[in-house]
Amino acid sequence: MKKSLPRVLLLAGLFAVSAFAAFEAGSITYTKRLETKLLAEPKPTAESSGTIAFAHQVKVEQVQGAWLRVSEGDVSGWVFAGNLSATKPDEGARLDGVALLASKTTATAAARPLDDAVVQYAAQRNFGDARADLEWMQAACAEITDATVDEFLQEQKKGEFQ
Amino acid sequence: MRTPSFSPALFFATALLVAPVAFAQFGLDLSKVTKGIEAGKDLAKAGKGVVGIGPQEERKLGEAVALEIIGRFGGLVRDEAVMHRVNLIGRGLARYSSRPNLDWQFAVLDSDTVNAFSAPGGLVFITRGLYEQADSDDVLAGILGHEIAHITNKNALKIVQRGDFAAGTKGFLLKRSSDVREANAAVSQVSQVGSMLGFDVMALTKKMFESGFDAPTEFTADRDGRALAMSTGYAPGGLRAALQHLHDDGENRKTMFSTHPPLTERLKKLPKDPAPPVPDADAKDQPVGEAQ
Repeated sequence: MKKSLPRVLLLAGLFAVSAFAAFEAGSITYTKRLETKLLAEPKPTAESSGTIAFAHQVKVEQVQGAWLRVSEGDVSGWVFAGNLSATKPDEGARLDGVALLASKTTATAAARPLDDAVVQYAAQRNFGDARADLEWMQAACAEITDATVDEFLQEQKKGEFQ
Repeated sequence: MRTPSFSPALFFATALLVAPVAFAQFGLDLSKVTKGIEAGKDLAKAGKGVVGIGPQEERKLGEAVALEIIGRFGGLVRDEAVMHRVNLIGRGLARYSSRPNLDWQFAVLDSDTVNAFSAPGGLVFITRGLYEQADSDDVLAGILGHEIAHITNKNALKIVQRGDFAAGTKGFLLKRSSDVREANAAVSQVSQVGSMLGFDVMALTKKMFESGFDAPTEFTADRDGRALAMSTGYAPGGLRAALQHLHDDGENRKTMFSTHPPLTERLKKLPKDPAPPVPDADAKDQPVGEAQ
C-alpha cells in the first residue's frame, strides 16, 4: 500500500535523528572529513567560525537533533553529526582524499588517468571496451563537483540540509 | 611513455589471487607457488610493519576489479541523466560514511540482471535491471548504501588478506633460508604468470560473482547501509523495499544479488520499516535510455 509522503518524510527525519543518538553531551568524537567546518548556528547556512582538520578529537558540548556543538580547545561551533565519527578514523584514510583535493572545488576537475598497471591489466585481459567505459565513468564523475552534490542535498533536504 | 609503477603490496595481493588460476592454466608446481606467496607475504609484512593495502593500492585494485565487472556485465550505460542521478545520491550518501574522503564513483551496468557490486577504493556499480526496479530515490539510496558499506567495511580487501599475515615477521624469521630462496624463485614464477594475465584479480572477482561475501558480512552491510541512508535523510525502508519487491516478484538468489544470502534471511534481519512512497509517474526520472 502506498504510504503518504509527509508521514514517511517525518519518519525519515526521526530516524535520521535517532541514527545519531550515540552522540551525547560530554562524549568525545572525531572529525572524519579532510576539513570540518565549525558553524555559528546548528544549520548548514550559518557562518563558519573555523575549521578542524582530519581525525581531530573534539568534545561534544551540546546536542540539538542531528547537530552537535563541539569544542577543541578554545574553539567551538556546530557540526552536523554525519560529519563526525564516534571512533577515531584510520590515519591512513587521510590519504584517501589527498589526490582529490583539486576536485573539492566548484570547478570541474579533470579525471585522473588510470594507473599504468591498470592499463596494462586491461590490455592483457583484452578489456579495451571496459577500459573505455571506466575512463568515461571517471570523466563523467569528475564533472560532478562537490558543489553540485551540495546543491542536490540542499534541494532534496538531505544530509545536513534536513 | 611512463614506466609502469610497481607496488609490493598490490603485487603480493595479486600473486595471492592469481596463484590458483596460474596453477590451473599453466600446470605450475602449486606447492612452490604457495611457498613463494607465503614468503612474499612475510616480506611484505616485515617491510610494512603492519600488513595492509594503502589507499593508492586499494584504488588500483578497485579499478582492476571494476574492469572485470564492466567487462562481464555488458559495459556501462552511457546516459548522463542516469549517471547524474546515481552519483548525486551515491556521493550524497558517501560523504556521511566512515570514508568520506574516497573518490566515490557510481555507474549503471548495461545488463538486465538484477545485481549491484562494489570495488575497493569507492567504485560502485548497479545493473540496469536493478536500477530500473528502484522506483524511488529512497530505494536507490538503500541499494547504494549497502554497496557503500561493503567498501567502508573493506570487505573485498579482507578477502585478499584473509588467511594471510598470521605470523608476521616471526613467520618470516622462522623460515629456513633455503625455503626463502626456493620461495623467491616461485614468486618469480607467479610474477611471470601474473604479467601474462596482468596483475590478476580474477580470483577475487570470481569469488565476488559466484560465492560472494559470507552471510554475516552481507547482514552487516545491510545494517550499515540502512543506517547510512537514514542518517542522510532517506526513508529507512529503502533497501527492505528493494529486497521485498524482488522477493515478491519471485526473484531468488540466482537472479537477484545472486551472491548474497537468500532474500528471506536478509528481510528477516532488517527492521520492518514501512516502504517508501513511490513518486508520481510524471515526477519520476526518465527510464534508462539508449547508450550514447
